[in-house]
Amino acid sequence: PSALTFELLGKCSVTKARAATLQLPHGPVPLPIFMPVATQASLKGLTPEQLEEQGCRLCLNNTYHLGLKPGQETLDAIGGAHKFQSWPHNLLTDSGGFQMVSLLKLAKVTEEGVRFLSPHDGSEMLLTPEHSISLQNSIGSDIIMQLDDVIATTSPDLARMKEAMDRSIRWLDRCIAAHKYPERQNLFCIIQGGLDLNLRRECTAEMVARDTPGIAIGGLSGGEAKDEYCKVVDTCTGLLPEGKPRYVMGVGYPEDLVVSVALGADMFDCVWPTRTARFGNAITATGILNLRNSAYASDFSPIEPGCNCTCCRPQSSGGLGITRAYIYHVTAKETAGAHLLTIHNVYYQLDLMRRVREAILADRYPEFLREFFRRLYAGDKERYPGWAVGALKGVGVDLLVD
Amino acid sequence: MAQNGSTPNLSQLPPEMLDFAILKSGGALAPRLGRLSLQGRKTILTPAFIGNTSRGVIPHISQDNYRKCGVDGVYIPLEDFIEKYPNKTPPVFQLETPEPLRAFTALPNDSLVVLGPRRNPPILTPNGHTNTEISLLTSVGFKMVSSEYYAAAARKLQPDIVVGLADIPFGKEKVSIKRKDKMSDRTEVWLRDIIAKQNTVEANERKFNIFAPMLPIERDLQSWYLEHLLDDMVDKISGVAIYDAYLLDDLPDELHHLPRLSFHDPASPQDVLRQIGMGMDLFTIPFITTATDAGIALSFTFPPPSEKPQDDVRQALGVDMWHADLAQSVTPLSEDCACYACTKHHRAYIQHLLSAKEMLGWVLIQIHNHAVLNTFFSSIRASIERGTFDADVAAFTAFYEPQLPEKTGQGPRVRGYQFNSNELAREGRKNPKAYKKFDEEKIVQLRAAHGQLVGKKPEVRDVIDDEALVGLVGMGNEDVDVRLEGLEIEDTKT
Ligand SMILES: [Zn+2]
Ligand SMILES: [Zn+2]
Repeated sequence: PSALTFELLGKCSVTKARAATLQLPHGPVPLPIFMPVATQASLKGLTPEQLEEQGCRLCLNNTYHLGLKPGQETLDAIGGAHKFQSWPHNLLTDSGGFQMVSLLKLAKVTEEGVRFLSPHDGSEMLLTPEHSISLQNSIGSDIIMQLDDVIATTSPDLARMKEAMDRSIRWLDRCIAAHKYPERQNLFCIIQGGLDLNLRRECTAEMVARDTPGIAIGGLSGGEAKDEYCKVVDTCTGLLPEGKPRYVMGVGYPEDLVVSVALGADMFDCVWPTRTARFGNAITATGILNLRNSAYASDFSPIEPGCNCTCCRPQSSGGLGITRAYIYHVTAKETAGAHLLTIHNVYYQLDLMRRVREAILADRYPEFLREFFRRLYAGDKERYPGWAVGALKGVGVDLLVD
Repeated sequence: MAQNGSTPNLSQLPPEMLDFAILKSGGALAPRLGRLSLQGRKTILTPAFIGNTSRGVIPHISQDNYRKCGVDGVYIPLEDFIEKYPNKTPPVFQLETPEPLRAFTALPNDSLVVLGPRRNPPILTPNGHTNTEISLLTSVGFKMVSSEYYAAAARKLQPDIVVGLADIPFGKEKVSIKRKDKMSDRTEVWLRDIIAKQNTVEANERKFNIFAPMLPIERDLQSWYLEHLLDDMVDKISGVAIYDAYLLDDLPDELHHLPRLSFHDPASPQDVLRQIGMGMDLFTIPFITTATDAGIALSFTFPPPSEKPQDDVRQALGVDMWHADLAQSVTPLSEDCACYACTKHHRAYIQHLLSAKEMLGWVLIQIHNHAVLNTFFSSIRASIERGTFDADVAAFTAFYEPQLPEKTGQGPRVRGYQFNSNELAREGRKNPKAYKKFDEEKIVQLRAAHGQLVGKKPEVRDVIDDEALVGLVGMGNEDVDVRLEGLEIEDTKT
């Protein structure tokens, strides 16, 4: 059973990029898509309305955090996370496992689940696949994730890697069995296997056989070399059915997004765009600007010229006409400064994916990629990252020739 | 009460000149209704309040939310913009556009912009004023700024209203008669400076309106200043800035037609009512942000509900949103409030946001608290209109507790450059214990400077939230909460 429909609208004739519409319980979502992360049911000071105004229709909540606060009982009493945070659009939640392993030093993975000490009272607790699904059922997110056994992709221990992969498959079966609302919440599997392509192939086959509504590629973006990352994504998407959404977890730098799309991935999430905003960093097509740098103190241009976000749009077009100089003036001194830059960064990421989608639909994604890198590196091909050049060459686009 | 107002004929005025019509007045020391109009700006019916900004924004309310929150004007202190002075030209002065201050802070065209020298309330500065300069505090420390500079700033920035410089030794509890004479002399000279600057504005340029300060000293001690003001400056000024509402009685009759902007920081809604009862027109209300930072959602109405409070216990003026017993409450902050926070969200979510230290919690409470004050003021106007103001105030006073609820939650983390960028803080780092004591004292003095007699009303002390005065929600990377520490780890990933 599935609570989504996936409508493939176009494919790039050169790369593996796809454009689609994903119908979820809370409305349609265009693919490819970037999903901002509202960890604790709130996106860094933005109201749901502000997030909506930037065009967001699918964002993340973190199960681990919502399980602690407000807690399952409150979520049940109020009727789920949509009602809790008054978000009328779609939500995706992770399983909570990754955050336990990464946040809690004492987390230990056993066949039963992830064992950890409660950050509240230090008592020993256990997150099982069943408990993770139960929490996500209470949250009511439109897409829920299986609990998986995550270990760093850079781990040299192949046996442990294989164990984690096999365990993730077994846990998927337990998640499927525990899932109470398959007709209104879509459970995605997560492919594990580290950087070992054979493990990844094996895992992909097992996961695909379980026929979940969507498929995630997990365990990446943990500091591995970017070309290794690309190989894993490329290998997995090559084995995945065409008619299902593919989600690469934890990816968010603009160049990672456009390359991953070329490798056949559809969905991404990352805390970086919103976190970096709080430190005064603006994402633009020509790179990251740190607006706390005094060079911007008297720069009266928009955060990014031509940007259509609420902040950058001139007042004459219904925007605010916020300048770099003003961000410099308020950033780190007033919370509203962080809110303004968060608006811009979220918009940048969403708009990037909108433009990616348009390019795919018009079958000019290779041109889009060339233009994207040309702008990002001011035409200096020497500075193009080798991994991106290599990965794109692998799918038929040579960035170094015009 | 006499009907005193006439419909303003704005077309007869230069477009940037302020028109203030008194719609209803009961004479001196009585509440009055007015209408403040300026071409292109939203007409403000008084009594009213305008937003109290920090670095160009009402704390926690980004410019897009400002446009949705029903506030029609703002007060902006110059000290928030001139940290580069005198080494460099402050950025806002480099903006080559009409109304640079409005453009720089991205305020909408129809909002009234009032410029003053200091934040409200101002933080004490260690330096005294001189005959030509006042002392103020920027984010990088104390500065001396001349009257000439202030006047030039007003001309360049083109706010709608400029509050004249006043020589007020904030924080001094006892001011000698000699010093008071000086206050009056300097304030007069400085007012002349700004009027002279206003006269240099070309016909094709936008002219600013001047509000003349009324000093917080007895009338006979500022009589020279007032006399000269009446003799040859009264037609140059468009309003008065009142630093001690209890001295409204001393306001010369010849200035009664002018709008009165209060810089007498009210500690509570009751204080606001008291000032309105004496004829105040326009306010900035610092306690809105103080309450918000403490996580208190204001919940009073005027007049109060007609049913008597239970067990004759006075009702709280606000709800402390930190309380865990609100965690599953799906009712809005206030039942009848039409603000964004109340129409879209419930208490459970806002309680969660505070306890999770998510910035949105303060955003929603701040939006709500501004809406509560908006409703408060429109109800006050209706009450004056009906002629029931005194009775309504009596009922309000009987119904509600005399001060805002005490802060219980952790509140936002202090990042106040207003406190710790100064010498006091440097001292404090060397000797934290002494600093803490000194700091508290300073805050008390600060309040005292605004007419809150701390010694007489110890409870006022309780509502002073030194953190919240200038504090910020934790945006840094040194959160103490274990779980948030964890969050940072997660955040650094990717
Ligand atoms: Zn923008
Ligand atoms: Zn409200």
